[in-house]
Amino acid sequence: MPIQPLAALRAIAELRAAAIVVPTMTAVEPWHRLSPEGITVPCIGFMGGASSLGLGLALAQPQRKVIVLDGDGSLCMQLGVLATNAGAAAPNLYHVVLKNRVYQVSGSQPIPAADRIDFAAMARGAGYAAVYAFDDLEDLRVRLPEALAATGPVFIELTTEEMPDPPKGGVIAASFPAEAAAARAALGPSS
Amino acid sequence: MSQHPPQSIPASMIVEALRVEGVRTVVTVPDTHQRTVLELLATDAGIRLITCATEDEATAVAAGLWIGGDEPALLIQHAGLYASVNTLRGVAIDGQIPMFYLIGLLSREPDRVPRDSQRSMVRYCEPLLDVFSVPYALLEGPEDVAQIGELFRRSRAKRGPAAALIGMPTA
Repeated sequence: MPIQPLAALRAIAELRAAAIVVPTMTAVEPWHRLSPEGITVPCIGFMGGASSLGLGLALAQPQRKVIVLDGDGSLCMQLGVLATNAGAAAPNLYHVVLKNRVYQVSGSQPIPAADRIDFAAMARGAGYAAVYAFDDLEDLRVRLPEALAATGPVFIELTTEEMPDPPKGGVIAASFPAEAAAARAALGPSS
Repeated sequence: MSQHPPQSIPASMIVEALRVEGVRTVVTVPDTHQRTVLELLATDAGIRLITCATEDEATAVAAGLWIGGDEPALLIQHAGLYASVNTLRGVAIDGQIPMFYLIGLLSREPDRVPRDSQRSMVRYCEPLLDVFSVPYALLEGPEDVAQIGELFRRSRAKRGPAAALIGMPTA
């Protein structure tokens, strides 16, 4: 049974600690509400770029975990990231994909191969260090601590329902440049 | 054309120019024109080389590096610029992230300025940068290497994109 996406985000928020989080698309606004503290860098304005943004942050800040909250439609736009992320082998990168099988912001049109696509298998084939897939909230709650403690890059596929109250008109109420600048100021020089 | 025919720039001069600016990471989708630069970077202990599958990814990775306190530069070819225009817009322009590009003009004819090239992949590069108001310079030989530092600093000062176009294959 698909996971309610807000419950999934709440479970991640409870375990984020000092992690930098990179949400995108429908996850941005609820993530800000659920986890207003800590460093968040939303991927807005370049759909498909979330895990690449997260990879750069993970490489620059190796002492911090970086959790990417990607979408399945977004990942489809840049599937090459699976090879790039595996190749870069950042041990602190956690690539979460919320798989609701639709482009929700534009009207919930199905993504390509919506009924059969298996991102976890792709990530495993690309060479991620660890891969998890969850379609049950209780299972996620039990095993998420293990997934977020594993050596990255870790891929976590979450089969979810659609996000409630998606951004109206596709306009996401957050600012990439403002939050990026704030994050750089907070993080300081790369170690 | 300038008074002198375009010349190859030694890879060591380009890498040193990056090092002087404090570049710590070069993010690339490999470029035939700058092959010797990539070879040098692959063995350089001071500058990290990250290879991406697409230029969209490379741009976003560089953005993440900069936000995280690193000083990255991009090394791509003109076709990669064309492929990643939306990310250039969203990340470097609207996102106000400093983004310095080294862009190789693969297939550029040495007897023509790029704008007069018979090859569209060469001819459209400068006009495309003009459309997006991206500052750039065409590096036609070793005497132009100082432009790398100037453009890199400009990308940081204005928090946006700037590009050095590599006119001939590097030596």
